[in-house]
Amino acid sequence: MNTHTLLAGAPAPVLVPVRAKAWRWLALLAAVALLCWLPVLLTERSLFGMRLSNMALLNLGLTQVNLMLIAMLGALSLNYLTGCAGLISIGHAAFYAVGAMTAAVTGTQWGWPFPLVLGAAALAGAAAGVLAGLPSLRVRGLYFVLSTFAVHYIVVYLFQEYQFRFFDVVGVPYAPATLAGWALSTPMRWYFFLLPLVALIYIGLRNTMRTREGRAMRAMRDHELAATAAGIDVRILRLKAFAFTSAIASVAGAVYAYYLSNVTSEAFGIQFAIQFIAMIIIGGMGSLAGSLVGAAVWLLLPSIITGFASKAAGSSGLLRTLLVDDKAQLVQLIFGLLVIVLLIFAPEGLAGIGRRLRSRFTRP
Amino acid sequence: MLAQLLFSGLALGSLYGLVALGFAIVFKATEVFNFAQGMLVVCGAFFAVTAITLLGLPFPLAVLFIIAAAALLGVAIHVLLIQPLSGRPMLSVIMLTIALSIVLRSVVEMIFGAEGRNLTTPLPSGIFIVGGVRISQLHLTVALVSWACMAGFGGFFKFTSTGLLMRATADGHEAAVASGINVNKMNRLAWAIGAVLAAIGGLFLAQLQIASTDLEKVGLLALPAVVIGGMQSIPGAIVGGLLVGLIEQLASFYISPKSSDIVIYGILLLILMVRPWGLFGQRELGRV
Repeated sequence: MNTHTLLAGAPAPVLVPVRAKAWRWLALLAAVALLCWLPVLLTERSLFGMRLSNMALLNLGLTQVNLMLIAMLGALSLNYLTGCAGLISIGHAAFYAVGAMTAAVTGTQWGWPFPLVLGAAALAGAAAGVLAGLPSLRVRGLYFVLSTFAVHYIVVYLFQEYQFRFFDVVGVPYAPATLAGWALSTPMRWYFFLLPLVALIYIGLRNTMRTREGRAMRAMRDHELAATAAGIDVRILRLKAFAFTSAIASVAGAVYAYYLSNVTSEAFGIQFAIQFIAMIIIGGMGSLAGSLVGAAVWLLLPSIITGFASKAAGSSGLLRTLLVDDKAQLVQLIFGLLVIVLLIFAPEGLAGIGRRLRSRFTRP
Repeated sequence: MLAQLLFSGLALGSLYGLVALGFAIVFKATEVFNFAQGMLVVCGAFFAVTAITLLGLPFPLAVLFIIAAAALLGVAIHVLLIQPLSGRPMLSVIMLTIALSIVLRSVVEMIFGAEGRNLTTPLPSGIFIVGGVRISQLHLTVALVSWACMAGFGGFFKFTSTGLLMRATADGHEAAVASGINVNKMNRLAWAIGAVLAAIGGLFLAQLQIASTDLEKVGLLALPAVVIGGMQSIPGAIVGGLLVGLIEQLASFYISPKSSDIVIYGILLLILMVRPWGLFGQRELGRV
C-alpha cells in the first residue's frame, strides 16, 4: 500500500486497516485472558476437570512464574540502560541490594506500610544510581564497566555489614506485604500484584523511548559526539538514565525481598548480577520485549530442564549422576552454552530471531 | 607483625601479578577483557589435580602436562570463541568470557565434584624464621617462581623475534598485517601464554589453599591489579598485582578480614575516577 502510494506520487487517501486493528485488540484481550487464567491452571493443576501431570505443566509452579515476573523488572531496566542508553552495567544487581536494604530499614525496622516502602526504595535507588553513575562523567567504555563492577562489590559489602550489625547470619526478615488491607499472602495474589506492575513498567519504558529524553538517549547511544553537537547534555542524560533504571531495579529488589521474606547479602553476589546481563543477551539487547523473553527463559528453563532430566535419567549409573546429582551444574552448563551460541550465531538474541522469522513470513 | 604482613603480601602479590600478567598479555593482544581469567586459574588447579593426584605423574612431567593442557585450552578459546566474535561490541565479548567462565565452572564441578580437593606436591613446605618473621618456604617458592616467570616473559618479549612480532601485533593490527605478520597466530600465542600463566597461578593456589572452584575469586583479583597498574602496561600488571597482594594482607589484618575486597575495589574506583589509565598506562586520547 505504502510503496504503491509512493510510486504513484499522488496523494491517495490513507486507508486505515480496520480489521488488523480489531484483530490486534482481540489478540491483546486473548493474551490478557490467558495471563489471568495461567495462575489458576498452575494452582489447580487440572484442565477442564482433567488432572494434569507434573510434566504436562513442564514442572512449573506459580512461584517460579512470580520470580520470573520480578526478574523481568530487573531485565527491563538493565536492557533500557544498556540497549537504549548505551551504558553497560555489570553491577545492576547492586540496585536490587539497595532496594532490599531500603526495604529492611523502612519496612522491617521502622514498620512503614508496603507501598511506602516501595516508594522509598525507588527514591533510594535513584539516589544510588546517580552516585554509581558519577564515574560516567569521567570515564568511558571498559573503564565505566569496571566502575560498575567495583560499585557492585561495595554495595554488597555495605549490605553485609548492615545485615550483621542489625540482624544476624540468618538474614534480614521482612514482614508479610499488604496492599491497602489486601494481604499478599498467596502466590496467586502476588501474581496479580506483579503482573500489572510488570505491564505498567514495560509500557512506561516503551513510551519514554518516544519522548524527547528517549530519543536523546538513543542518539547518545548511537553517536555520542553527534548527540552532543545536536545540543544534548550527555552527562546529565547519563545520570538521568542511571537514576531512572536503578529506581526500577531498586523497587524490584524491595519486591524481591518481600517475596522471599528473608534475604541475606549472599543472595546478591556476582552470579546474581551476571544473570541479568545473560537475560538481555538471550532476549536481545535493545529490545524491551526481548528482555521479558530472556527473563522467562532464565527463570523457567532450569525447572523445565530438571523436570525432563529426572524423567530421562534411569535409576542408577552415570546418566543419573549426570542428570540428577549434578543438575545445578547441568543447568549452568546449558545456560552458558546457550549464551555462547547466541552470541556467536544470533547476536540480536531471541528477539532478533523472532524479527527475522516474522519478516520471512509476512509481506514487506 | 608488619614485616610478616609485608612478606606474605608480597609473596601473594607476586602470584596475583603473574595471573594479571597473563590477563594483560591477552588484553593487549586481542583487546578482550577476560572475565574468565579466574576460571582459567581454577582450570590450572584442576589440571594439577589430574596430573598429580589422578594420573600420578612425577612432578616435572606434571608441570609439563599442566602447561601443555593450559596452552591448548587458551588456543581453543581463541579459535572457537574469540575469533568468531572479532569486531563485535565490547559487551558481547565481555559476556562471552563470563559465559565461558560459567561453562568451565560447571564442567569442572561435574567432573571433580563441587567440594574442593587437596593437592600435595613435592614443593618445599617448611618454615624458617628470619629476624622474627616466619617465612614459609612455599610462599617463598611461589614468589621466586612468579618472578622467574615474569622475567622470562619480559625477556621473551624484549629479545626474541617472536616477542617482537607479538609486540608489533599488539601495537597495531593493520600495520602488523601489512608487514606480513600472521596476526591470528600471534593472538593464539597470546591466549596460550595468558592461560599458561593463569594455570601456574592455579597450581600454586591449589597448594596454598585447596583446589576448588572458589579459587575463581582469587583469580579475579587480577582485574583490579591490571586496572590499578594500567591496562596497556605489562610492568603495570606486575606492580598492580604486588599492590593488590599488599593491600589485601594489610587490610585484612588492620581493618577486618572481610574488608579486603572492598578496600581493593574502593581503590579501583578511586583510580578509575582520578587516573583511569592506571599508574603506568598511557593516557588514551580520543579523536573525532
